[in-house]
Amino acid sequence: MGRMNRMRVGAYRAFSISTKVFRTLRHDKRTLALMLVAPLVMMSIFSLAFAGEVEHVKVVVVNLDKGITFPNDTHLSISDSIISHLDKEKLEITFEKSISKGEEEVKEGRAWGVIIFPENFTYAVLQNVQMKGNSSNSSNSSNHTDSANSTLTIKVDNSNTNIGNTIYKEVSDAVLDALKDTGRDMPLEIDTSKPIYGKNNRFIDSFAPGIITFMIWLLTTLLTLLAFVGERTSGTLDRLLASPIKEWEIVLGYAFAFGIMGCVQSGLLITFGVIVFGISIVGNVILAFFVAVLLALVSVNLGILLSSAAKNEAQAVQFIPMIIAPAFLLAGIFWPIEAIPELIRPVSYIIPPTYAVEAMRSVMVRGWGLDKIWKDLLILSFFAILLLIGSVQSLKRRRA
Amino acid sequence: MVVLMNKMSKNEPKNKDVGNPKDTSTVQDDITHDAIYVRDLVKKYDDFQALSGLNLTVKKGEIYGLLGPNGAGKTTAVKIFCGLVKKTSGFAKVLGKEVPSEDIRPLIGYMPQETAIYQDLTVHENIELFGRLYNLDMNTILKREKELLDFISLSKWRDSAVWTLSGGMKHRVSLACAMIHSPELLILDEPTVGVDPQLRAIFWDYFKKIVSKGKTILITTHYMDEAFNCTRVGLMRLGKLIAEGTPEEIVSKTNTRNLEDAFLKLAKEVEVWEE
Repeated sequence: MGRMNRMRVGAYRAFSISTKVFRTLRHDKRTLALMLVAPLVMMSIFSLAFAGEVEHVKVVVVNLDKGITFPNDTHLSISDSIISHLDKEKLEITFEKSISKGEEEVKEGRAWGVIIFPENFTYAVLQNVQMKGNSSNSSNSSNHTDSANSTLTIKVDNSNTNIGNTIYKEVSDAVLDALKDTGRDMPLEIDTSKPIYGKNNRFIDSFAPGIITFMIWLLTTLLTLLAFVGERTSGTLDRLLASPIKEWEIVLGYAFAFGIMGCVQSGLLITFGVIVFGISIVGNVILAFFVAVLLALVSVNLGILLSSAAKNEAQAVQFIPMIIAPAFLLAGIFWPIEAIPELIRPVSYIIPPTYAVEAMRSVMVRGWGLDKIWKDLLILSFFAILLLIGSVQSLKRRRA
Repeated sequence: MVVLMNKMSKNEPKNKDVGNPKDTSTVQDDITHDAIYVRDLVKKYDDFQALSGLNLTVKKGEIYGLLGPNGAGKTTAVKIFCGLVKKTSGFAKVLGKEVPSEDIRPLIGYMPQETAIYQDLTVHENIELFGRLYNLDMNTILKREKELLDFISLSKWRDSAVWTLSGGMKHRVSLACAMIHSPELLILDEPTVGVDPQLRAIFWDYFKKIVSKGKTILITTHYMDEAFNCTRVGLMRLGKLIAEGTPEEIVSKTNTRNLEDAFLKLAKEVEVWEE
């Protein structure tokens, strides 16, 4: 048999396996629904619940500052100005007269933080601004010459750091805005309005690539794992292996089918994300599909390889945390790899989803092309080939 | 001729070199006429010996029944013939090639003990899949399928999902999948489990028809009464044959009424001899 003919026969057999996978899905509506609907449900849940935008945080303001009245009868209160600049969507403000009452609210769990403006706050701030302009070591002397205190105190319930940080950030922003309003020249300014990538990005925009990656990784690995454990326990794998089909034809047949499913899943997720959540995709969608397919190939082979270590479905289920946890915690899907302790960060770099989510995010949010994400794709291909060899070997070991 | 295996090995010392492929030229003539030729086949799992020196010859064009209780090593032997299990030692040739061999896979039809078909696919989809794995084109598959579905009386269920069928029906579909490519050698591991007597009779008629066309069938079963349909049977116990011959020969030689009694008597003899 000629080489070409052998390849044609091999492709015919591999394709018959792919057909089998698709037909199984067509008859097994529940699994099909899991593959197509579950990602959308997951995306919705995560987008709505995990949206990252902390809102309506209850804070108490204790304002002891009276402001100052200038000789021309104009009144200035920097504390009032700061309060007016606080984002009322994010912070839900109530007022208390005394520091102890304010702190009480936080201690009793009725508020997340208390913001305290001391007496003569406006006066102290103005004096500081002037003194700093005049003398280099004025900060010390100003405190000595006058008992007025320019320290704005924020005491938060930091049991949820996310909320604590939101309060800090909102107050800092309001302080900068208020100082600008006083009309005095600020010694420095920070402009964050022109990001290089991700302009007008909301959490969901940077989150969507992560959820696509995660769902493909999880569902493809899980379903191939279960499908292959089924093949092993039901005797069908023995039957396949007793036939002339080659091990790599079985693996490629599965990979082809799940690669297409990966494409369909990403297509659905992207369409759904754009229509329902208005996510913006800056880069080339085709390239995003390509990343999805590559990840699906990695996952298929991992699933097959893992199946060889499971005697039955119950044992296979024990692998699920092993599939979910590293991807969920360490791949940079939900929080950046930079936030992962250095001690375990090497693990992040040896799991495939890390590169998939990086490539996916670079394409969708940064709009990068092949010229910039080729490294990630190369590493993913490396994983795919390595696991392909592993899964083919695991089947060869099954055959005599 | 009935050969009582243990006695044979006692009377004429075994030629140890028979298991060595280099010396197979001496038995070459036999092999070309044998569908399966096995000498001193041993299979050891970690702490369990499934086959302990199996000697077996299945001639082309016969129905060979491999009989024995559960755990006798029948399935292990069958899996070695199909290239699914590695032998520990010994010699096994199937259709003239030493196993495992890529070349003989297309010529063997294997029906495992488990139902081993895809539950979520329809009867037709299962048969088509296995047809394709043996590189059959769609026309051939459809022609063969019609024939097979008639034989297993499941034409009406062609487009039903397998999981909706009864156990016996599934077994029949499994048999059809093993035969879709008209194999030279059909290896059936317990094909009649869960099949009603009427259908069983139909099965055996069909098997006889197949071998009349020059094909060979190896069947394992622990239903001794069925074995009378076989051309020859081998009685297996603890990983080796204790007797081989036509069913009638074995029964008359052991002075028993049926194969079951023959087996029990032979097993007892072996035990005595072993002691």
